[in-house]
Amino acid sequence: MPEITFRDGNRGTVAALGQRGAGDLTTVRRRTMKRTTGAVAITSAAALLLSACGGESGEENTDSGANAEESSGDDAAAEEEGGVDSAATSEGAPAASDGTSLVIWADDLRAAALEDVAATFEEETGVPVTLQVVANENLREQFKDSVGAGAGPDIAVGAHDWLGELVQNNVVAPVQLASDLSGQFNPDSIEAFTYEGQTYGVPYSVESLALIRNTELAPDEPETMEALVETGAQLVSDGEAELVMAQQLGQEGDAYNMYPYLAAYGGGIFPLLEEGGFDASEVIIDSEETVQGGEKIAWLAEQEALTVNLDGSNTIPQFVEGKTAYLVSGPWAIEQSTEAGINYAISPIPDFEDGGETTPFLGVNGFYVSAESQNPQIAQTFVQEYVSRADVQVSLYEAGDRPPALTEAYEQVAADDEDIESWGQAAEGGTPMPNIPQMNAVWGPLGKATADIVSGNDAAERLGTAQSEVEGAL
Amino acid sequence: MLSVGILALSAQQAIEAGSWLIVIVVAFIAMSILVVYSTRRMIPAKYLLPGLILLLLFQMWPIIYTAATAFTNYGDGHTLSKEEAIVAIQGQSVRQDPDAPRYGMSVAVPEGAAIETGELSLLLTVAPAEDGSELEEGAEEGGEAELGENITDDGTRLFVGTEEGLQPLSADGVEVLGNGTIGTAPGYRVLNLMEANERAQDVQDFAVPVGEEGEAAVKPATTSQAFVGRPTITYDEDADVMTTAEGKRYVAQEGNFVPEDGVGAALPAGWTENVGFDNFRTIFTDPTFRTGFLKIFLWNLAFPLLSVGSTFILGMLLALLFNDPRLKGKGFYRSLLILPYALPIFVTGLVWAAMFNAQFGLINEVTGLSINWLGDPWAARFALLLTNLWLGFPYMFLICTGALQSVPSDVKEAASVDGAGPVRTLVSVTMPLLLVAVGPLLVASFAFNFNNFTLIYLVTGGGPFDSGNSLVGNTDLLINFAYRLALESGTPNIGLASAVSIVIFLLVGTISYLGFRQSAALEEVN
Repeated sequence: MPEITFRDGNRGTVAALGQRGAGDLTTVRRRTMKRTTGAVAITSAAALLLSACGGESGEENTDSGANAEESSGDDAAAEEEGGVDSAATSEGAPAASDGTSLVIWADDLRAAALEDVAATFEEETGVPVTLQVVANENLREQFKDSVGAGAGPDIAVGAHDWLGELVQNNVVAPVQLASDLSGQFNPDSIEAFTYEGQTYGVPYSVESLALIRNTELAPDEPETMEALVETGAQLVSDGEAELVMAQQLGQEGDAYNMYPYLAAYGGGIFPLLEEGGFDASEVIIDSEETVQGGEKIAWLAEQEALTVNLDGSNTIPQFVEGKTAYLVSGPWAIEQSTEAGINYAISPIPDFEDGGETTPFLGVNGFYVSAESQNPQIAQTFVQEYVSRADVQVSLYEAGDRPPALTEAYEQVAADDEDIESWGQAAEGGTPMPNIPQMNAVWGPLGKATADIVSGNDAAERLGTAQSEVEGAL
Repeated sequence: MLSVGILALSAQQAIEAGSWLIVIVVAFIAMSILVVYSTRRMIPAKYLLPGLILLLLFQMWPIIYTAATAFTNYGDGHTLSKEEAIVAIQGQSVRQDPDAPRYGMSVAVPEGAAIETGELSLLLTVAPAEDGSELEEGAEEGGEAELGENITDDGTRLFVGTEEGLQPLSADGVEVLGNGTIGTAPGYRVLNLMEANERAQDVQDFAVPVGEEGEAAVKPATTSQAFVGRPTITYDEDADVMTTAEGKRYVAQEGNFVPEDGVGAALPAGWTENVGFDNFRTIFTDPTFRTGFLKIFLWNLAFPLLSVGSTFILGMLLALLFNDPRLKGKGFYRSLLILPYALPIFVTGLVWAAMFNAQFGLINEVTGLSINWLGDPWAARFALLLTNLWLGFPYMFLICTGALQSVPSDVKEAASVDGAGPVRTLVSVTMPLLLVAVGPLLVASFAFNFNNFTLIYLVTGGGPFDSGNSLVGNTDLLINFAYRLALESGTPNIGLASAVSIVIFLLVGTISYLGFRQSAALEEVN
């Protein structure tokens, strides 16, 4: 199923990602085309509207720019200016970098979290900040398209697995982090924002799949997957639950959700390079190790722990309605669980009895600097000197409830918030999702292979066909 | 003449944006407006021109644009021009020297020079704790100050970086701020943040050569910091070759720089280029496309035919029922029947998809069946037809109701006088009259369902897929298939997608043409 039903944006970093991105691509292209022609349309009001809009926002920005210039260093005026308020709710064509204020695109949650940071930045530097809310599902494409057209923001907040595609199209500029600064981050998070040896963003959160447990139904953390399945099945036969476990899969499968098992014995998609990153020239989907993981998926399906009938729209509700004691999902599942009053505990996805260590993908969120920014140094200052501050990372955590990427901030938050500590533990040992564009060719075939394995196909055979499909597409 | 004024305005904007094509188009339109409306002649043109211009802009232009794109490799990784790609690759290849210190940096112009035009220099500081010995080799003697004079009381060393190189800066009279930047320096006008930002592009391109051969450079990292880095890839314009620091050569080929020795991946940024008929060749020779095509084409014919047939029959029967004068409360029933039509397909599509869920879906639950609706090819096809029946019958009901009400009652009376029963009246009198009215709409409905991307995408996503073939779905329409092939498999390729949509356009066009000819024939008979 398409990625339509998810309200949480970070789910967007997840499987079938290429599909969604591509979907937007066509619409966006069509839209841009119309916009260009609209500007030309003589009698049509579109031209009038467009020029009017352009003029207006230009004026507004110039005003704030001039104001800030007069008062650079002067706190009060910059604060008064409040680029934040004026922009937070603006609609229509998103504000673009124009050399007078720092334009940041983020989704609604993150934009709200950034307001304080933006105010601090304005106060300390005198540079007005325009926070532009862009719907999460459109952000990636809009960022890509508008920078390509020379009208993008200075900074965009997004997921790390966009990186390869953004570099390919020259959308993002390298971020030259001081080495002592990059050392203060979770190393995985920096690696996630590194592409072919170059760093392109500053991370602020790390997330991964974990086991969320209903503590009323299952008070004890399962030691192994086998124990989990046993307890889950017991609950079902006792009539206390309806499902052994809930995990998103769907008819078309879900390589992101199945990756922890596929990689449990050292397999996966691409071999890991020692210096970090993946070697995209080799595909290891049909390797012995991956097949071993695939057989575990088949086993979980036999035990009725996995089913293709659970997809993005109905997986979390099973847990929220108390129909299962175990949910394998990410931080995006927490809000609904809390609202429903479920008592839950978070722990890493258990390993297998025979030593297979489940390895989830890590999704990292961070700040990108546009390659076409009109304020390149100011944008770099914001991401390098402000985003990397512990207080900023903490306030971003407060908005999104994801473990901060900055070690100091993580430790500070984890001390008070048990959940964050658990998420952090779940992410330990995880692998950042590949940020190479080649992943687009993997999600589909590998996802469908996992669905077929769950439906009863032979793991070795099915992963073999997935391997040849992926190889053919690359 | 308001429109010409508006045109001038948009021309101005286009000129500023440098889009000359738009300027030409705008000028052309303005001229035709002037010619047509400034004289008293050309009366018909006065009425036709606005529509004509809009037709050209909104119908012809996208078609031409699509057709033009079909002959390029435009797509992910091929959005830039070659020049942009070359610049991008080199810019992306700049690596920070891990051992070099991080400088505190201020941007300055010579005292007295204008901010906008003055020659830039970077005033740099190295904090005492760091070991910058390696870099002093790059700092040339013979500047305004000798090495040694450039150390402040607390041990911070000061430099001035110009396009020529790095030179010591005399510590006399220099004020170093808390964040390691220089606040004031004699002989320099230090720019504040917004002033420096006016020259952001100059600053961005500014590089202070350092190191023995000057291949490394001090470059701005932020507004207050500079780093030492070097490009790891260089471009040789004459040979059109990119060379990495390790000596690996990349040659230009099919819109990318690919390794000359064939080992490894191409450099990330590529460019758009003309590929001739390659995209069309791919469509007709790619094995996946060819094998999938026939299967999908058959379903693509069956789906709209069955959809139109089923929705029309149900819609017409309901229309006949609710057209009966004896029925009470028709208005109420009719509005109820319109409901499915009024709900957005995005909602109904997803709701039906959820209802078809084999384990948790409403349909299996209520009927007690255990059909794997979305996992079995035939069941999935049936599920789609059912969903489309639900979505489509209100439309047919509407148009049939309208057509039935326009069937004159005297004809029907005449039929009954002649001794025809209700069935005979329906078949021989009402139906032919009805079909004349709705025939063209049925053809239009067929054309719509031929390309009913949204429904398929929302309900089955094209699936289920045969094992090992994740490109050809069992319920794919051509448009869904094209979408997946061009945009979801591997690298999104807009050029290929454009070529595919042209092929589909030709197919739909032909079928619709034949269909309309048929329905015209229908009209003549009556």
